[in-house]
Amino acid sequence: MGADEIRTSKADELRVVNRPVPRHDAAEKIAGSTRYAGDYAVPGMLFAGLVRSPIASARVTRRDASKALQVPGVVTVLFGEDVPNNQVWVDVPGQTTEVVALKASMQVLATDRVRFHGEPVALVVTETEDALAHGRLALEVEYEDLPGVFDPEDATREGAPEVHDGGNLLAEWNIDRGDVEAAFAEADLVVEEEYATQFVDHAYLEPEAGVGWIDDDGVINLRVSTQVIEHYRDVARILAVPESKVRVIGPYVGGGFGGKEDMTVEPYVALAVVRTGRPVRMVWSRQESLLARAKRHRMRMRYRTAARADGTILAHDIDVTADAGAYAYLSALVLLYAAVHAAGPYRVDAVRLRSRTVYTNNPPTSAMRGFGGMQVVLGYESQIDEVARRLGLDPAEVRKRSAIAKGDRLPVGQAIETEVLLADTIDAVLERAGPRPEAFGPGRLVGRGIASNLQSYGRLVWLNDSSSAWVGFRQDGSLLVRCGVQDIGGGQASSLAQIASEILGTDLDRIAVHFGDSSLTPLAGTTTATRQLYMSGNAVHEAATTLRDRILHAIAAETNELAERLRMTDDGVEGGDGTIPIPDVLSICKTRNVPTEALATFYGPKGTEVGKELRSERVFPDFTFGTHLVDLEVDEETGRVKLLRYVACHDVGRAINPVSVEGQICGAAAMGIGQALLEEIVVADGVNLTGGLFQYLVPTSADLPDIEAVFLESGEGLGPFGARGIGEPPIGPPPAAIASAIRDAVGARPTTLPITPERVLECIDRARGS
Amino acid sequence: MSEPLTVTLSVNGRDVTRTVPSHTTLLAWLRDHASIYDPKPGCGEGVCGACTVLVDGEPVSGCLVLAAQVDGAEVRTLSGLSRGVELTSLQRAFLERGAAQCGFCTPGMLMVATALLEEGRPLDRDEIRDAIHGNLCRCTGYQGIVSAIADVAGGGEGDGR
Amino acid sequence: MTIRPFRYVRAASVAEACALLAEHGAGAKLLAGGQSLLPMMNLGLVEPEVVVDVGRIGGIEGVVEDDGHIRIGALTRHRTLERDPVVAAHLPLVSAAARHVGNVRVRVRGTVGGSLSHNDPAAELPLVMAVLEAELTGNGPGGSRTIPWSEFPLTYFTTSLREEEMLTWIRLPKLGRGWGFGFHEVVRRAGDFAIVAAAAAVRLRDGVIEEARVGLTGVADRPVRCTAYEEAVGGRPPDEAAAASGTAVEGLEPVSDTFATAGYRRRIVPVLASRAVVDACTGAGGTA
Repeated sequence: MGADEIRTSKADELRVVNRPVPRHDAAEKIAGSTRYAGDYAVPGMLFAGLVRSPIASARVTRRDASKALQVPGVVTVLFGEDVPNNQVWVDVPGQTTEVVALKASMQVLATDRVRFHGEPVALVVTETEDALAHGRLALEVEYEDLPGVFDPEDATREGAPEVHDGGNLLAEWNIDRGDVEAAFAEADLVVEEEYATQFVDHAYLEPEAGVGWIDDDGVINLRVSTQVIEHYRDVARILAVPESKVRVIGPYVGGGFGGKEDMTVEPYVALAVVRTGRPVRMVWSRQESLLARAKRHRMRMRYRTAARADGTILAHDIDVTADAGAYAYLSALVLLYAAVHAAGPYRVDAVRLRSRTVYTNNPPTSAMRGFGGMQVVLGYESQIDEVARRLGLDPAEVRKRSAIAKGDRLPVGQAIETEVLLADTIDAVLERAGPRPEAFGPGRLVGRGIASNLQSYGRLVWLNDSSSAWVGFRQDGSLLVRCGVQDIGGGQASSLAQIASEILGTDLDRIAVHFGDSSLTPLAGTTTATRQLYMSGNAVHEAATTLRDRILHAIAAETNELAERLRMTDDGVEGGDGTIPIPDVLSICKTRNVPTEALATFYGPKGTEVGKELRSERVFPDFTFGTHLVDLEVDEETGRVKLLRYVACHDVGRAINPVSVEGQICGAAAMGIGQALLEEIVVADGVNLTGGLFQYLVPTSADLPDIEAVFLESGEGLGPFGARGIGEPPIGPPPAAIASAIRDAVGARPTTLPITPERVLECIDRARGS
Repeated sequence: MSEPLTVTLSVNGRDVTRTVPSHTTLLAWLRDHASIYDPKPGCGEGVCGACTVLVDGEPVSGCLVLAAQVDGAEVRTLSGLSRGVELTSLQRAFLERGAAQCGFCTPGMLMVATALLEEGRPLDRDEIRDAIHGNLCRCTGYQGIVSAIADVAGGGEGDGR
Repeated sequence: MTIRPFRYVRAASVAEACALLAEHGAGAKLLAGGQSLLPMMNLGLVEPEVVVDVGRIGGIEGVVEDDGHIRIGALTRHRTLERDPVVAAHLPLVSAAARHVGNVRVRVRGTVGGSLSHNDPAAELPLVMAVLEAELTGNGPGGSRTIPWSEFPLTYFTTSLREEEMLTWIRLPKLGRGWGFGFHEVVRRAGDFAIVAAAAAVRLRDGVIEEARVGLTGVADRPVRCTAYEEAVGGRPPDEAAAASGTAVEGLEPVSDTFATAGYRRRIVPVLASRAVVDACTGAGGTA
């Protein structure tokens, strides 16, 4: 299929959307004037820090603040007993047949027991940062070791130490579709393998930070680096105050990737503010973040795959075990995503899946870009690639043969309702990459690998997701957008301006976006699950459209014109006899009692909560499809891998801002490459050994090749103008693409992440039969 | 034990004098004492580069230098680059290439790139990648950043994409 | 991540620095480039009471060439070494090692004296000093003394410098014609400390290796010379260097850490050692 045959829908004449306009926040960031959460200082501000457990599993036998309180500059110390409601509750859906969903909980500050290395036990508040360092050291806590369990498979065995009362099994999800045994019986080829992924850290450049104070109306204000301003509800519950008395302000976030989806500093800053009555700042050190922030789930996946001689995938028998760490956080949902995505973007008529997420005394695990849907790409893509190789077939053709299409159903039962350009993305990367490169010298082996994926965008449908936005004109015709969306670097705020500009005609530099204030901006929900462009974009689209129509109808009535013949531009309302300047337009509206502002709420699709036996017509709103290609070179004596070429293609539906879209694709692919080759939070017997960024190997510019981002536009996404979400999808394919490329180069496949040089040598040894 | 000492630095063209505890790093001196917030604390290990500032024209980690060590030096940070008035050609290239997403690495990245470009030698994309590898970015995959620097370096192949 | 307060003193001379070290003993730390000391202080791993800033002491910085030797002042920054034409011409191993140290910011501030005194077991500069058989000058309150490299590094982060001494000069012979050099390392990521690095200096005569010096870092508590390998290639032509490289790993007991296992380190030692030797032979005018 040549380039012209790759399907892409052309947008109607769009002026602003679909144009590579510079983001309005980028200018401030590039000038250095953006103030992140930790850049804020308030007069009279105190400093807060946590004392954390150095042990993975223990009873807390003594906590003594007396010496700490004697350190000059220490203002107060809080223990768990000082927290009005020392519990954070998390829903664990689908795990019970009772009406009320199961809940899991953790303490804000541990009182009797600690379950992971780094669990917070005390909060110290001081006048200076020096005093904070001293005060934390002087705080005495004694522990009595309790047996711990550090492997999820051990944790499910009889007699394993219990991390929480009631056993270590947190959640299970099962899928049974079709007749798996029959499929294996008729298969021409069966491929069976076990894959393993590691604990990964978000490693955003901005560590967790926030400043809190009580304002003139007695409202607790928290200006924090967060993906979710709605945590004001959780803070209110912890403090036992009404929700109206807590306000979360979200400035621009220096990277989130799911790591700022749960609360981080919020409850502690709030507690310190309430206790002292003074403003308080808390900033985590990088080392503290690496230690204690919840990680990406480590997963073990066993795949047994049945295929026909022509490469068609007949069945998958899949078993997934995830390490839920010491506390539930979002582990049950992460596993749910893994289960739903586990067969990949393919039509597979028979699937049996058994999966479980299990408590251990390892670091807690929670949301990270890809959210379970990411880890399973290694499983399903390695399997289909291996099927192709063993049958001597072209890996690209085998993928296309089984590619899911509009109307087909995923194993869980959900039908894909939008156009699937999977085959086009495969063709696009192959075309862009050109022929395989030659090896550069003796002892170097070259390989090429591709990997395709699907990743949902929009939240689970039974969560009744919604997003609200308000747009309104100022008297001079400039425009304000208010939306609770948190901007974590993906251009969330600026795309709203583009959408508003497209519909209302206002020039981009006359639009101001105010976001991320739980009291002052309409709530837009979490900046997670690749949902913001879809949800808030649609909310702004709706609000702007309502406002435009309202204004045009008012002008139509005033001028005796047909509303359809009128157009809104930056200069005013055009049509009929000429252009009515905007200030006059707004006056006319005023005299006719027509509001020059509009609030809209966009509601996501509805659905029923799933049970443990997964079967549903609809779990997610929709999915984004894509394919990556990598050419790499292996040094066969050292196992070092050098990436020569990387191409990533996704169907983004409609690119609201092409530069932003490419940026998301490159950034997510880079993060996936990091997980593939370099990154690991190393935990041994519950002890987190990764003590700094010198050890946590985030890829540098010299470790990556140019990542060529290509996007297709089917126009069939559920977002504004047919957009699909793109924040998470590109993180999935890299590990599988790289594993397949190494398989291509050396003849054996790596199955464990990260693919270290040593693991590459193991593959080389295996291929040589030694 | 720790006597305060007085450090004078020329910061973005202005002489600034502050008396600080002797254990104050250059980064803390700038942020907590001189209200210069653009260099960021990212790791305290000198690995991430978010605190990169130019001292006498050369890039340093603000977190790995004591203010006292560089008393009398000329310090340049991002907020002084354009003096909030007109962006440099590098800054304009960053804007066009989408080289800033969350923006947290951007001050350090722009300073190391500014120092690199001020050396005046021609640079290809690999040399750029090598020169800036000490500044981590988690959002962009470095693609826009390398292209922006290449655009200005005039190596001609700004567009490896 | 706050540094514990300390008393800061800027030493105006080597003598003053040594006197302060003598006065405060283990409670004092020298501060030159700070690229090793500051991270340790930021992480709370080291808490000196007194920090002696030697960074502005004159007269012990720069590259001085004389007839048979090159002297490098202890306060010479890595970046200077990396770019110095005299070093490049006569001591390409030093240029290569300097280029691999950390990132540009580390090289702008970090000093060769600091790196050698710190003695990180995976650092590149101590490795090339071992291969080039450097001679160091250490100054104390009583005067200066010459320390041959073989007596300098003792173990992890420890050298034979006494508590009251500081390094002032590094002296390296110009090995001259007939010599070639090679440097190879494996790192997980650009700018990291080496997992294993190998450096070689080889002199050829009549197409065979007349003298070989091969060193490794990342495999022990300090850089090691592969004496067995050096003997094994003596008198042999360059194309036999790879075959003999198994001897390079003899007696080594590298450790496992979060970057690599001991087994991996053992496996790549012969690979890197032979590559360094082969490159050195090529540089000396022979081919492997």
